[in-house]
Amino acid sequence: MNNLKQFKQMFLAQLKLTLREKQAWFWGIFFPVILMVIFMTIFGGGSNDDFSTKVVIVNGSANETSAMMASQLQQIPIIEVADPVSEEKAKVLVKEKEVDAAIVLPESAQATSIKLIVNKENEQSVSTQVVAGVLSQFIQQANLQAVGATPTFQQQFETVSSGSSELEYRDFLLTGMIALSIAQGGLFGMVDLVDMRRKGLIKRLRMTPAKMGIFGLSDMVMRLLFSTIQIILLSLIGVFVFGANLFINFPSLLLVFLIGALAFNGIGYFISSFSNTNEAYMGAANIVSFLMMFLSGIFFPVETMPEWLQPVSNILPLTYFADGLRDSMVYHTSILATPFWIGFGNMLLWGGIAFIIGSLLYKRQSIVSTR
Amino acid sequence: MNILEVRNLKKSFGSIQAVKDISFSVSEGEIFTIIGPNGAGKTTILEMIEGLVPPDHGEIQFGEYNWNKHAVTIKRKIGVQPQSSAMFDLLTPEENLNLFATFYEKARPTEEILQLVNLTEHRKNQVKKLSGGQRQRLAIGLAMISDPDIVFLDEPTTGLDPQARRNVWEIILELKKLGKTTILTTHYMEEAEKLSDRVCIVDQGLVVTLDSPSALIEKLTNEREVRLSFLGGEKASQDAEHFANALDSVTRTEREGASLKLWTIKPEDLLFDLFKFTKDKDYQVEQVSIREMSLEDVFIAYTGKEWRD
Repeated sequence: MNNLKQFKQMFLAQLKLTLREKQAWFWGIFFPVILMVIFMTIFGGGSNDDFSTKVVIVNGSANETSAMMASQLQQIPIIEVADPVSEEKAKVLVKEKEVDAAIVLPESAQATSIKLIVNKENEQSVSTQVVAGVLSQFIQQANLQAVGATPTFQQQFETVSSGSSELEYRDFLLTGMIALSIAQGGLFGMVDLVDMRRKGLIKRLRMTPAKMGIFGLSDMVMRLLFSTIQIILLSLIGVFVFGANLFINFPSLLLVFLIGALAFNGIGYFISSFSNTNEAYMGAANIVSFLMMFLSGIFFPVETMPEWLQPVSNILPLTYFADGLRDSMVYHTSILATPFWIGFGNMLLWGGIAFIIGSLLYKRQSIVSTR
Repeated sequence: MNILEVRNLKKSFGSIQAVKDISFSVSEGEIFTIIGPNGAGKTTILEMIEGLVPPDHGEIQFGEYNWNKHAVTIKRKIGVQPQSSAMFDLLTPEENLNLFATFYEKARPTEEILQLVNLTEHRKNQVKKLSGGQRQRLAIGLAMISDPDIVFLDEPTTGLDPQARRNVWEIILELKKLGKTTILTTHYMEEAEKLSDRVCIVDQGLVVTLDSPSALIEKLTNEREVRLSFLGGEKASQDAEHFANALDSVTRTEREGASLKLWTIKPEDLLFDLFKFTKDKDYQVEQVSIREMSLEDVFIAYTGKEWRD
């Protein structure tokens, strides 16, 4: 009964400490949200909907063919056609990048050439490629029409993914960002412990009959609560602002979340055991965090990395944490699936070993009493 | 009755022998002060008694209890204010006290402690906004929350301004009135002299001497230091020094310009002869004083070290 009372009071104190710590809010809530919004805006949200390119048409001597082509070009949704001008004027416009390209229509009804003028600097740009592609399609259609033939082959476009639903990049990024935030919460959060030790607060608590186990537990529960807020907030923003699609398997998610959060807290604990100052801790945590951030398939799939680097990714716990979150939040994978357990094993191993070494180091420095 | 008994404590850190052999006992209700130069082993002695550092050798006995068998019981009986006032900076004094209260089976009401350490006004301010003196008082309050029999105060007034220091002294004397036993370490001789029932001087891990402040001073020497300064300038003090050196009662002299310091075991006789001499010579004496010996002199005499505040 007394233990419960102690836990309640300690948890309340932890809650107040966290709520009053501005840094915790910034790094735990504000920073991941900003990071996600930036990445989602750059790489994630509606990339292929809004593409358009501006071209100008040169219709030197109006004729039947050119009039028909001009009106057909106007129909293509992604091409914005400006008012016709002379060829010289069109070249100036292209040079000054007022337009992405100029299309010189046939000079007479019998002429067969259509000229595309682009800026040399932009020769390889997406706009140029698109306009050239569209134009060549257009010409081909016109050619077929001219000889009265119908196309034999037609292209069909379909995307596939290994999941039960289509994994879009924004879903990939959202789950990656959630994994990263929770991992960083654990990696950076244990700086409190260094601070408490530096101020002699751990020593002070040990002079009382307080149960340090209960203190640790209340701290852990507080951290898990904070991570839960992160996961909910990031998911809400991902779904409602960026239109991510989530198909959550709750038992799987709960397990991945718990094991992942504990593993990264374990690593944080390990770092705290050999850091004598907050700065030393933050330095070490930053190195670990940066390495994992780019090697664990948070922003881009591990498969897109150089082959020699992939084995490194495949031992990092964040790789498995992000994958686990993707499996449980996007693919609705059941808790019984094999890849899950490999991931759990990896994270438990990292967290467990880090925690044990950390504890030994704490003991050796007689920071934790044997009493 | 002895509430605490310390016998032959020894502790080494690597090749450094921090505590060589320390024994003393503390009776119930007294203020027992440990003083010593930096690195004398004060904090290590306290930490061993507080159960933080296990001694290499020796015994620590709280009445019938010892750390090996009764750790939790002892922790309930003692209250500790460590040198670094360790507390939760983002909590208020009230919240800190409430939290610490849950660690103990019986605790005094938070209100009462806030009043004792004069923090009722600041109970709702976060600790990080408190002044050094207020923090120190809260640290003493945290040591008192469990209503302990023995309170350990490790340099409770270091770094405080004179007013804040006096406030802490009042609290310590208040604890004595409540019948608590206080074990104090301090950097301030004046504090040790004013508050302590007994003073234990330690140096290089050993007890140098242990007694009440007045007994220690008395024990030290009967010699007194007499200071004079002359209006007539150097000539007057030079002649006076010459005259004093010829007297039997003077053991030693020291002169600097027109000021003269004389050491004697019979200050009255010396002054009588000296004034007779100055009157004859018509030298005018500007100032005369006889310096009382203080604990600081005792300290210097025993440790051979200057005292630095």
